[in-house]
Amino acid sequence: MPKLTIDGQTYEAEKGKTVIQVADDLGVEIPRYCYHPDIGIEASCRMCLVEVKGAPKLMPACATPIAEGMTIRTNTERVREAVRYAMEFLLLHHPIDCPVCDQSGECWLQDYYMAHAGHDSRFPLGQKTRRRKAFDLGPLVKLDQERCILCTRCVRFTRNVTRTNEIQVFNRGHNSEIGIFEDRPLNNAYSGNVVDICPVGALTSSDFRFRVRVWFLKGTPSVCAGCSTGCNLRIDHSARAVGGGIPGYTATDGKIYRTVGRRNVDVNKSWLCDEGRLSFHALERWPRLRTAMTGGQTRAVIQLLPSIHEHFESIRKAYGDSAVAALVSATHTNEALFLTKKYFEGRVDFRLGREVELYEQRQDDLLRRLDKHPNTRGALDLGLGGEWNGLSGFLRRAETKEIRGMWISFHPQLVGEDAPEILEDLRELIAALEFSVVSTTHDFGWARAASVLLPMASWAEETGTYTNYAGRLQITNRAVMPPGDAQPLHMLMAELLKLSGVQVSHDPDAVFDWIRREVPLYSGVDHDAVGSLGATPAQPV
Amino acid sequence: MTPVKGGYAVDVPVIHVSERARQEHATVWSTFKAFGVTLRRLFTSLFKGDTPTIYYPEQTRPYSERFRGTHILTVRDDGSLKCVACYMCATVCPAECIYIEAGEHPNPEIEKFPTRFDIDMMRCIYCGFCVDACPEEAIIMSREHHQSVYNRDETIYDIEKLMARPGIDAKGPGYRPNRPMAEAKIFDKETQTVCPIPSVIQERHPAVLYESMIRRRD
Ligand code: SF4
Ligand code: SF4
Ligand code: SF4
Ligand code: SF4
Ligand code: FES
Repeated sequence: MPKLTIDGQTYEAEKGKTVIQVADDLGVEIPRYCYHPDIGIEASCRMCLVEVKGAPKLMPACATPIAEGMTIRTNTERVREAVRYAMEFLLLHHPIDCPVCDQSGECWLQDYYMAHAGHDSRFPLGQKTRRRKAFDLGPLVKLDQERCILCTRCVRFTRNVTRTNEIQVFNRGHNSEIGIFEDRPLNNAYSGNVVDICPVGALTSSDFRFRVRVWFLKGTPSVCAGCSTGCNLRIDHSARAVGGGIPGYTATDGKIYRTVGRRNVDVNKSWLCDEGRLSFHALERWPRLRTAMTGGQTRAVIQLLPSIHEHFESIRKAYGDSAVAALVSATHTNEALFLTKKYFEGRVDFRLGREVELYEQRQDDLLRRLDKHPNTRGALDLGLGGEWNGLSGFLRRAETKEIRGMWISFHPQLVGEDAPEILEDLRELIAALEFSVVSTTHDFGWARAASVLLPMASWAEETGTYTNYAGRLQITNRAVMPPGDAQPLHMLMAELLKLSGVQVSHDPDAVFDWIRREVPLYSGVDHDAVGSLGATPAQPV
Repeated sequence: MTPVKGGYAVDVPVIHVSERARQEHATVWSTFKAFGVTLRRLFTSLFKGDTPTIYYPEQTRPYSERFRGTHILTVRDDGSLKCVACYMCATVCPAECIYIEAGEHPNPEIEKFPTRFDIDMMRCIYCGFCVDACPEEAIIMSREHHQSVYNRDETIYDIEKLMARPGIDAKGPGYRPNRPMAEAKIFDKETQTVCPIPSVIQERHPAVLYESMIRRRD
């Protein structure tokens, strides 16, 4: 491993890395626009220039591989001057649209201008080159050519990552501009990523544009629940009551405005598929269920739980333990699944459709998988797919009166639609049961036939772990509060377990500790080790 | 110089209250002196027409050019709102009383405009920060300050009301940025025209000047 010196400190780094990668690993800050770790190197912006001992000129850190004995300085006056000039060139024809620019507040031009430039423009505003503004590149992305700094990150993304080549640089020299061919819009399944990687406000998201200013948002790291890949993302949601004191417009429950990719080299690099990126809108697709209902009356959840417990107990007494079961879905966290399994003593299944067949199968070469549930692997690892045969098995048993009371917990799929036959089967299952409790997130017509209907927290409203297709344990975090009386399933189950005499904490961490004690697969996993990037438990021998 | 608690370097006059009370000889005699003042005032106002009072609210005293009253949204030459919904005002507002929803403007040169712009005037503390923050001189203040309404909802001003209030130009503009970027224009609801805000104050009700009030008090 070569040794090199950066700003007087000597480090050892892996061979083949570039200077900027080593600096990033070490936490030495080097400004950059065109360098992005996941799309290949271009070295066009000249922001990352550093002084290398022995080299006559300044070297771009993003394109200079490290070598034995290299001595690098990142903060000499020569470097600072070069960066200042690079900034002045980049801003020469820049329109300074910040008041209307959606990037404002997270714009690298703004940040680096404040940190490294601070010059007055020598070019009068009226004489700047005008280009096309705010036109659609595709269904999700808008381009403003004036704001573009030609870093070609977007070009390299479509060239090297999606390999669809929609975005190109047209013309040469001063006339260069980013664009697409008229007949080839940017409509690949991953198009939203170019908005994330564009360092300036040239590419903006049609979905997010103008909905809120980014400085009002709070970011919560989480995991996408759109499919079994479990891409890491950040949920950007309102941090304080939006709308100040204006009555009626204040979002107290919190509101999700967008999700952006969060880098995890082992899962999704920096990317998200468009379906997953927009999947939070699915939560608004139907009206949310806010209160518990039984016999057409609304009730408080906490008052209903004891009577639910009694009902299950009486069915167990009259017809044996096996007359009571639970059907969940693979959209629940491991914690919720585990506590459900505890309360129903293993008589739990999660299979609604074909998720077990599909969960490892790819939908395309990049990220997407065919199983649109985030936690199928987790449910399997907890041993939920027993002899019950999923929804169809429960339906048959309910029709033969083998099962009489059931808890059905249903999160709708965030990506795509739940198959209509599943909803039809659920409807029949409820009709066939003597006593049914449905806990669900939205006010579905089919669920209203249940004996008791409970509101439940959805994705982004509960904390817990998902296990992705490869067995990687990742944390999904609560970003916003559930509406009304809704609660996460693990809390409902913890309450029921308390009624049956087992003391359980509401804290998902504590539940995970219990899982670790009981499930050998997870015994070596420390909740802290899962952290923000997840961890894969070692396979038991 | 009196040493001041807290160590301020300025010379703060400290009034010794009991000392002052001893110096003032409030006796029965002063009561009659006060009656005298009242009588003199009565005669001067009855026969000389020298009244310190005005017929408020028909008459008002002229307010300062920097008076911070209810806001005005200014307009472009074509009568459309100048505001570009940048949220600077809503961000800086310490009372969090500005609510904006932005929309896509059909003209890509303008790009963004507010589809909704509400100010809760009951919550507003009239600090004028929003005026200072605005990069477009799209929001300025007026000299209007009456909040007499039948319903609290009416104190939430929407775009329509912020843009064109009948008679808003009569009293002249209030607080504006120190260096106006362009002549701010407002929309006159009565004539349905765009008009520049007059920079010279024309009083509709010439009343006793504020300055003379102050002089008489000395
Ligand atoms: S790209 Fe950045 S600097 Fe340019 S207008 Fe947008 S926010 Fe301002
Ligand atoms: S549009 Fe954005 S990402 Fe693409 S070249 Fe321009 S600045 Fe770079
Ligand atoms: S005057 Fe002050 S309190 Fe009132 S809207 Fe403007 S910034 Fe907010
Ligand atoms: S600061 Fe000015 S331009 Fe920006 S939203 Fe407020 S009034 Fe509109
Ligand atoms: S980051 Fe190295 S040249 Fe752009």
